Amino acid sequence: MIDFWLQRFQKGIQTQNSWADEELAKIKKRLKSEIGKKFSGSLAIRMVDSGSCNACEAECNALSNPYYDLERLGIRFVASPRHADILLVSGVVTFNMLPHLLDAYEQLPSPKWVITLGDCTQGTVFKDSFAIKGPVNKHLPVAYHIPGCPPAPDEIIKGLLGFLQTL
Amino acid sequence: MRFIARFAQELPDHFEIIDVFDTKIEKTPIDKDNPEIETVAHIYPAAVWFERKIHDDFGIKILHTFDNRPLIHHERFPNIHPMRKDFTQKSIEQVPFHPYHYEVIEGDGIFQVGVGPVHAGIIEPGHFHFSQEGEAILHLEVRHFYKYRGIEKIVEKKHPNEVWNIIERISGNESIAYQLAYLELLIQASNQKHNENIQKYGAILLELERIAHHLVDLGFIPNDAGFGAALAYSSMLAEDTRRALKTLTNHRFGFGAIRGKAKKIDQNILESFLNDLESKIDFFENWIIEIPSLWDRLDTTGKLSPKKALKYSTVGVVARASGVRIDRRENSFYKKHGFSIQTQQSGDVAARFKVRLQEVKNSIQIIRNLLDFQEDSISLNAFEDGEYFSFIESSLGEVMLYLKIKDQKIDRFFARDPSFINWQALHLMMPGNIIADFPLTNKSCDLSYAGSDL
Ligand code: SF4
Repeated sequence: MIDFWLQRFQKGIQTQNSWADEELAKIKKRLKSEIGKKFSGSLAIRMVDSGSCNACEAECNALSNPYYDLERLGIRFVASPRHADILLVSGVVTFNMLPHLLDAYEQLPSPKWVITLGDCTQGTVFKDSFAIKGPVNKHLPVAYHIPGCPPAPDEIIKGLLGFLQTL
Repeated sequence: MRFIARFAQELPDHFEIIDVFDTKIEKTPIDKDNPEIETVAHIYPAAVWFERKIHDDFGIKILHTFDNRPLIHHERFPNIHPMRKDFTQKSIEQVPFHPYHYEVIEGDGIFQVGVGPVHAGIIEPGHFHFSQEGEAILHLEVRHFYKYRGIEKIVEKKHPNEVWNIIERISGNESIAYQLAYLELLIQASNQKHNENIQKYGAILLELERIAHHLVDLGFIPNDAGFGAALAYSSMLAEDTRRALKTLTNHRFGFGAIRGKAKKIDQNILESFLNDLESKIDFFENWIIEIPSLWDRLDTTGKLSPKKALKYSTVGVVARASGVRIDRRENSFYKKHGFSIQTQQSGDVAARFKVRLQEVKNSIQIIRNLLDFQEDSISLNAFEDGEYFSFIESSLGEVMLYLKIKDQKIDRFFARDPSFINWQALHLMMPGNIIADFPLTNKSCDLSYAGSDL
């Protein structure tokens, strides 16, 4: 095991797709510098699933695997909305989740931003249901949208960079 | 007899209750003017949620039940029954708050801890209500359906081919299982024969999905016991698996991959992925098996006895880790391609961890044995009116789908996720544990919210 970690620290993770890795490395660098400038090096995200199919959650979890390692850039998914700068919303906004979503938003200290993650937050796919109260922007001021169904981890990272550049 | 599901449907002049067991399907007609039916929850405890759902969906009264609280209808849900045919509203509005009464244990010094629906971390929403005596858990009530999207109603009146994109998104981490179960329904409805190429292609993707899902858990279980290194290692393997799935299907979760076709895949890429994964998983196993302090946390935690696993009709890893031999892959096709059922006896977190580990290794073998297939497709267009059932072993356990087609359109669709059953057994694992054991136990079962809430 020690060998694995030594290698890991020396070389980083080696993947078969070196072009994408280089590209990703560049984006990560820019992301880190934007977070440094605009959020003093620490960006806290509270994720709320308002009725997803769970693939968007899985991709957000994948952001902390050794390939993407988002925490190294100063981004943290935090346990409470009260510690967050950003509310990252996935899912369709179900009837049963709407009050809890609004509540979570209320709990974020200002200044705060809402980012939507994934196409179904826009009211696509599940639109013909009485039990769905989406899209998200009907209920909350959405500052930025990260498209995809689900957006892959590298697309989420690009999306976060895109958002930071709008500030 | 194993209880699988209980659900209702509306016919022109009566309602019908359908009970699905492993050996038979029973139908009971009930009167529309005075709809009521006897509970079966005294014999099959897992029927309770099904019956509460039947009441919410159709307004059918369940007689002599010990629990008639609403299930899907939360505190502000209007008094409507959306699965009735005459319910056609596009939207519903909130009504005044009706409190939901949790089942709790009360007494001197006993207190309640509510967790969720919005949890700490990146997790789907659900609520857990603990009755605590200090650190010790006395009782847990699981309350869900925050993610209720009304999928069974959305697909009604649509052409069966029109709803693939919804079926694929019932539960993202079981997407391929749902697609295959749905394909099976459409194959039956269009009177087609099974095609071995398509079967093999589907099984390869299903096993890849299982590998990805199990690998994530193999990291999260030790992580919840404070051993983060395991998560770093196995989440890397899970990522490799997602990437392999993307190379084969063009999508990391395989959305849109099934639909009656077998696509050509690059065998070399897949084989080298499997070889790499196999050596890494062997390494992972040797490494983790030698960490006594970790097993100290996993052994005897969150125990489900074989007797209870059976009584509560559990499925999937939860059942198999408690010694119950249920796996829908136990058929001639899978056996011919190297499937062997993985069970453990101790029913604790450690057992569920070991079952997952063994299943990953078995899935690698199965995929290797399936690689010799050709490109192929079947056309699924004309469907015969009728009722169809299908069963598939997803990474979480047995998925059951029911489809009734009338005039070429979907008249009733019912999906029973394995989680809908296993969530009901979660509380049985908690007494005798401390609250810090809950995340560990919950993760070892790793149930779907989206699939169960539908
Ligand atoms: S955007 Fe797509 S993948 Fe994400 S939760 Fe919605 S349906 Fe699932």
